[in-house]
Amino acid sequence: MSETVVRPVPDEHEGSHVTADGQVTHPQPADYRSARSLPTDPHWFKRAVFYEVLVRAFNDSTADGCGDLRGLTAKLDYLSWLGVDCLWLPPFYASPLRDGGYDISDFYQVLPEFGTVEDFVLLLDEAHKRGIRVITDLVMNHTSEAHPWFQESRRNPDGEYSDYYVWSDADERYPEARIIFVDTEESNWTYDPVRRQFYWHRFFSHQPDLNYDNPRVQEEMLSVLRFWLDLGIDGFRLDAVPYLFERDDTNCENLPETHAFLRSVRKVVEDEYPGRVLLAEANQWPTDVVEYFGDPDVGGDECHMAFHFPLMPRIFMAVRRESRFPISEIMQQTPAIPSGCQWGIFLRNHDELTLEMVTDDERDYMYGEYAKDPRMRANIGIRRRLAPLLDNDRNQLELFTAMLLSLPGSPILYYGDEIGMGDNIWLGDRDAVRTPMQWTPDRNAGFSQANPGRLYLPPIMDAIYGYQTINVESQLNSSASLLHWTRRMIEVRKRHPAFALGDFHDLGGSNPSVLSYLREYKGHADPADEDSPEIHDVVLCVNNLSRFPQPIELNLRQWEGWVPVELSGLVPFPPVGELPYLLTLPGHGFFWFQISARDEGT
Amino acid sequence: MPPGYDPSRRRRTTPAARGRDARHEDGPGHTARRADGRGGGMTTPDVRARGLAAPLAGWLPEQRWFAGKHRTVRTVTPVSCVALVETEPLLDHVVVEVAYAAGAPDRYQLLLGYRRQLPEKLQHVRIGAVDDLVAYAGLWDDVLAEELLRLLDSGAVRGGLRFRPEAGAAIPRGEPSRVVDVEQSNTSVVYDESAILKLFRRLTPGRNPDVELNRALRRAGSEHVAELLGEVEGELLGDTVSYAMVSAYAANSAEGWAMATASVRDLFAEGDLRADEVGGDFAGEAERLGEAIAAVHADLADTLGSTELDRAGYAELSTGMIGRLSDAVGVVPELAPHADALRTEFAAVAGLTDACPVQRIHGDLHLGQVLRTPTSWLVIDFEGEPVKPLAERLLPDSPLRDVAGMLRSFDYAAEHLLVGDTADDHQLEFRAQEWAARNRKAFCTGYAGAARVDPMRHAALLRAYELDKAVYEVVYEATHRPAWRSIPLRSIARMVAAGS
Repeated sequence: MSETVVRPVPDEHEGSHVTADGQVTHPQPADYRSARSLPTDPHWFKRAVFYEVLVRAFNDSTADGCGDLRGLTAKLDYLSWLGVDCLWLPPFYASPLRDGGYDISDFYQVLPEFGTVEDFVLLLDEAHKRGIRVITDLVMNHTSEAHPWFQESRRNPDGEYSDYYVWSDADERYPEARIIFVDTEESNWTYDPVRRQFYWHRFFSHQPDLNYDNPRVQEEMLSVLRFWLDLGIDGFRLDAVPYLFERDDTNCENLPETHAFLRSVRKVVEDEYPGRVLLAEANQWPTDVVEYFGDPDVGGDECHMAFHFPLMPRIFMAVRRESRFPISEIMQQTPAIPSGCQWGIFLRNHDELTLEMVTDDERDYMYGEYAKDPRMRANIGIRRRLAPLLDNDRNQLELFTAMLLSLPGSPILYYGDEIGMGDNIWLGDRDAVRTPMQWTPDRNAGFSQANPGRLYLPPIMDAIYGYQTINVESQLNSSASLLHWTRRMIEVRKRHPAFALGDFHDLGGSNPSVLSYLREYKGHADPADEDSPEIHDVVLCVNNLSRFPQPIELNLRQWEGWVPVELSGLVPFPPVGELPYLLTLPGHGFFWFQISARDEGT
Repeated sequence: MPPGYDPSRRRRTTPAARGRDARHEDGPGHTARRADGRGGGMTTPDVRARGLAAPLAGWLPEQRWFAGKHRTVRTVTPVSCVALVETEPLLDHVVVEVAYAAGAPDRYQLLLGYRRQLPEKLQHVRIGAVDDLVAYAGLWDDVLAEELLRLLDSGAVRGGLRFRPEAGAAIPRGEPSRVVDVEQSNTSVVYDESAILKLFRRLTPGRNPDVELNRALRRAGSEHVAELLGEVEGELLGDTVSYAMVSAYAANSAEGWAMATASVRDLFAEGDLRADEVGGDFAGEAERLGEAIAAVHADLADTLGSTELDRAGYAELSTGMIGRLSDAVGVVPELAPHADALRTEFAAVAGLTDACPVQRIHGDLHLGQVLRTPTSWLVIDFEGEPVKPLAERLLPDSPLRDVAGMLRSFDYAAEHLLVGDTADDHQLEFRAQEWAARNRKAFCTGYAGAARVDPMRHAALLRAYELDKAVYEVVYEATHRPAWRSIPLRSIARMVAAGS
């Protein structure tokens, strides 16, 4: 971006403050202007294409080397052009940034280098103007150790905040709870020399877990929620949600108390902010994750959405093995979800490609195939972007994206993957996949006007993925680019409600290297509107997971006499007959068909 | 049954081919009616069947499952005719005895549909006309295929036919059906994605082991067979016979052969990666397949009993292998250079003393007989080797015969892409063997982990079974697919060289 915004110095009254007598005070929503709102739509998230964008990495409006909210706001036209319906912003709250912002030191303040609460409201307002919604992470499980609640809690064991965290005289309680960051942490307990007790933390030791058995903590978090919802935010991704409570003789995950609290959060949203969503981040098996949707009899009464974690590594595994079974297996193990809910699916995000939800054998396999260099691994996962994972093979990039856009769930794109950005495995931790967005072939990839040395991370500069080769500007100028292709596919997806709302039926078929499925939707064009027309939309997706051309015979007997119409060019294929339907696909090729009632061609 | 696996066997008959068949059959049909000289009012199945004798004599040899293709058909005589559906479209169950110019007659069962007007889509299975009725292969008719499930669902008895649903089985109804006519001895009807009916075409006295073993495994709660839903059996001229079986259809499954060969193809496409380094590695699947086969063997032993090979048993085994070898050398001279070494191997079996179990086994196990589903490996087609007489197929045998069958199949999967490879690429040959070795080992590991018998602890016997199978394959290939005989011949050469 060329425009450089001069931002006023952040208001010193912004954010939370500690009074002289040790009270932590928080600002009120009324202190700020609110964004314009979009029409209430209880199902928008089921049809939305999400886009995860790191504020830091997207666009720098202040030439300080770090992306910010105003920079992102200036790029909304691009995201709107791409077809994005909802932005997911990882945390932008005040934080010492020892865990990418997931270590929040003040829920009521924007990280100063990203801007101010006003900047955020401006982003919301401009996004809503374009019909784009915005959700962000809310880390409920823990805070940064720098949070005033923790500082007061450790300083004054008898004070108001003494029970905001989980303290213990010993470090032996809850031994069944696994350690998540095995690379860095040895225990879930850490000794605090100030309070002379151990505190509980499921993640890093600088992120003490909040004590949800304390009703005041629950109230505090609801206030945080209301604050941002009042400003106009469209929902939250609830980070690390399975770990809120602790109980003896359990692994301290997915406890009933956690679900009860989520129900109370949902009730606040339902009663006071209809149309806003809660998205659960629960890296668990689908059978456990569905618990986070809540009671199916009422269409779900906890989270509206949850990530489908195990699907993603299996998509990679299936293509490398040239076998549909890794995907068919996990889809078969995925239970039905309540009517008011939706999965969130993704290929890559800001974290490593997590391999917690695969067997040890499968993990070894994934390491062997996709992370040959040990530097590509982080925790239990692989820190690489989509394009390098696929050897920058355009056919595979298209195949993977086609599956992302057609498997059940709302797709979540990761910034930069739409142009095939690369990664830098020489950067620490998970920074490999968090480098600046590549806008142009100009200095700093067009991301920032700052001196290149000031950038928060260097842009990718290698010969294949470097910004001089891979950037938005050049791909905008070529209609054959991955960017244009991605945009067209998003467009096609949006024309067919079956992709978003349809049932999923795995067709199997004679060839194990081909994954075929039907998505079928019968109902109102707008499920929330009884007056909208009744439609019957059927889409057939056929994916060749093999590098070689493959034939497939599909049992489409149910659709005898119907005509498959290929969706990118609307070419009618021969009608379905009595015999199995024969298709041939090029290596890593795929087809999307609408199963159309009549032969509309001649 | 072909050794290893024969993909061509699965080829679908094209509609064009069927059209030709139908035209060809037309002539004799009309001739027959005139010769018969009878008018309308043919109301009983017997009369209808007799009226079709001549067209059937032309139609039968065109059928994939007709085993007497190389023999001269003398007469086709209906020996049992039962009306199954008595309103149009009619369905008759007919058993015909086919007498040849030479040799023993065969009996085949037919399901004959009759309509006054044959719809266009059934023209390709027209057999002939009897008075004002047109006879056709009834399984192709959705309406009649559904009638079969209705009869099974109601536990009907029609003439000598008993439709017997399994206890507690849910028989699906009202599904569209399609015929899968690719087997050499059966015809199957698949009901959408819920059930498959398998009609045993050539009838022999006695219970078909496929029904018997599937029932035993269902009762044992095995997760490695498709659930048996029912059978059609009955009396035929004083003997009990199995006519058909209905099982749950393994939707979303793929054959082990297709998966294994996809893996080999992947390996061949990599420049210089080893079998354990390529993405398409199959060893994990092979190991789980070994576990599945072991579990099936254990369930069969538990439900149907097992004993151990004794001295006499080993001697008999040895004699059988030597006998088959002698026959084979007579047919395929290329075997001669290995005959002495093979004979020595087989003779040594008589002297084995290991305690090795014998029990009911699959009998014809290879990668085309196993299906990968999203939850497990399934084993299908428990009929045993169809070339053997039924009585022999019911005899207990060592589970190592099944293991050997699967090991041979891995060899086939690895080598079949090289058939006809004029470049004689040693690099590919080396990699094929690397793949075979890796997956054979993985299969054995999986099997040993879940079985009571570790195949590797009976190495000499396993080897003999494998060589015995390979000898059989050489004869089969020399007769049916001469280009493929290099696969078993090379295996024999390798094994003999490694053994000496």
